[in-house]
Amino acid sequence: MAISNDKEFKAALAALDNCDRRQATAYLIRQALDLTQDARVKAGLDLAVRCDASEMEFSTAAAGVNSARVASYTQCGHDANWTCQAAHFVARAAQECVKPEVSAGEAWEAAMQARMARICQHIAAGEGTSNREAEAQYRALEDYLQAKGSAS
Amino acid sequence: MSASLDKGVRVLKEMIDAPIASYFSSCVHCGICAEACLFYTETGDPKYTPIHKLEPMRRIYEQEYTLIGRLKKLAGLAKAVTDEELAEWQELVYNSCTLCGRCSVVCPVGNDIVYMVRKMREGMSAAGHSPDGLKGAVTRTINIGSPMGVKLPAVKAQMKHVEADYGIEIPLDKEGAEYLVLLSSMEIINFPEYLGAIAKIMRHVGKTWTLSSEAFEATNAGMQIGNSDLARVIVSRIVAGAEKLKVKTVISPECGHAYTALRWEGANLVGRPFSFQVQHIVEVLEEFRAAGMLRLEGMETDRLTFHDPCQLARRGGVIQPQRNLMKLVAKEFVEMPDAGFMNWCCGGGGGASSIEEGEILRIEAFQRKKKQLDVVKPDRLVTACANCRIVMEEGLEHYKMDLPVIGLAETIAEHIPDPQ
Repeated sequence: MAISNDKEFKAALAALDNCDRRQATAYLIRQALDLTQDARVKAGLDLAVRCDASEMEFSTAAAGVNSARVASYTQCGHDANWTCQAAHFVARAAQECVKPEVSAGEAWEAAMQARMARICQHIAAGEGTSNREAEAQYRALEDYLQAKGSAS
Repeated sequence: MSASLDKGVRVLKEMIDAPIASYFSSCVHCGICAEACLFYTETGDPKYTPIHKLEPMRRIYEQEYTLIGRLKKLAGLAKAVTDEELAEWQELVYNSCTLCGRCSVVCPVGNDIVYMVRKMREGMSAAGHSPDGLKGAVTRTINIGSPMGVKLPAVKAQMKHVEADYGIEIPLDKEGAEYLVLLSSMEIINFPEYLGAIAKIMRHVGKTWTLSSEAFEATNAGMQIGNSDLARVIVSRIVAGAEKLKVKTVISPECGHAYTALRWEGANLVGRPFSFQVQHIVEVLEEFRAAGMLRLEGMETDRLTFHDPCQLARRGGVIQPQRNLMKLVAKEFVEMPDAGFMNWCCGGGGGASSIEEGEILRIEAFQRKKKQLDVVKPDRLVTACANCRIVMEEGLEHYKMDLPVIGLAETIAEHIPDPQ
């Protein structure tokens, strides 16, 4: 399945069942994992790709991801460090999928947070407003769907 | 006396105007202001009594402007204000005061203690005794135009992101638009969803609006540190941007002090009336609601409460509009004790959240908010100030309270039906 715009991207996410959608969302966010060093976020995404994770595991991981999200806010009056802010948005994205059920809206929200993280990286690098993360996400979702199709 | 102390004392003398003199001479030392200050109630330390935070200024007032004080000074019986003393008072004037105004409204003789603290900050700032965090914010405001160093390319990047997310064009520099929307640095950096919510709401009500490439920043670090000249420069940028685009209304964002600086002090700072009106986003939304323009769908079914930002509710008098808006979307809206006019501060306003060395004290003071929340046990907490939002999230995280905090504008926007 080829994905070339956000409409198709959203439709593909919406068509997945719950566990697959959570897996796919975590897979999308992992594309932006280079933007964070926080082990709690990585652990949360590792859990999100598992279909056998328990409620307790989700609860513990969600608390860790939330701590990472809150800790990485830029506080009022502080100098904006866009590299750190990128890590904040990765944590926000991860928060959307460290839960038993991920709706299509939450999956989209997670994807947008990951794109915002990449934008922060570009701002930090002085690379203007170009953002190729959307394209990268289309390819990642295609890959996921293809792998899923081959496995089934 | 060092040059900076000399300057600071001189500025403090200049700051003692008729209201300050009458406030000092009226104070009956009752201590009621202490019970109104969350830094005192949560620590029990009497040094956080609001009127005590002004002690160096009171002594200057006494020694310079009262007969007995002058005689004592001549006789060598008066204790001069020292550099060390001002250094010690920095914590009291900045870290432990959010300019929330609770002390002012409980004072039985009507002393506006916030007014006094702000005057005191002018002298402290001139003497070099302001916190490094605030100094940095001021330097960035002068050099870059934003206390957090946000430049136009970052705003444009966020605009592009929001356009993709919401599928709505974000107008920039549109002359003749009805509304000029300002953003706080906090919203640009942390909460792009605020801009998305504005875009959605404006499309829904059919109003024209714009951002300005020359005046997008609302945060006023000059007001926070106690530098009227800088506060004037920041307001002047907004005035110039608004007048250039010929807008009718400037919308102050979900940021407390930005609203006070522009709405209540802006015209006095620039020395002339504005050619536009200033409204907080909550006031604008309330106007839309009252005119029947917000045709929302669905209700939140969990238990929601609202944290009133001090500058909006107590200092700004905007109390009922946010409640009317909450009731539009919340089936179960509950009020915390002391909500509204007497609400307790988040603990990080007035520049306090930018002071790193004040973090432990802020967390201690947050226990007051925790007590308010413990009474009503909400599922989510709504507010209309990006700074309150982050300060409260940090407090909630510290006390292991699982309570999401959300913005009012985005909460309203979520209930706007998609266009056909």
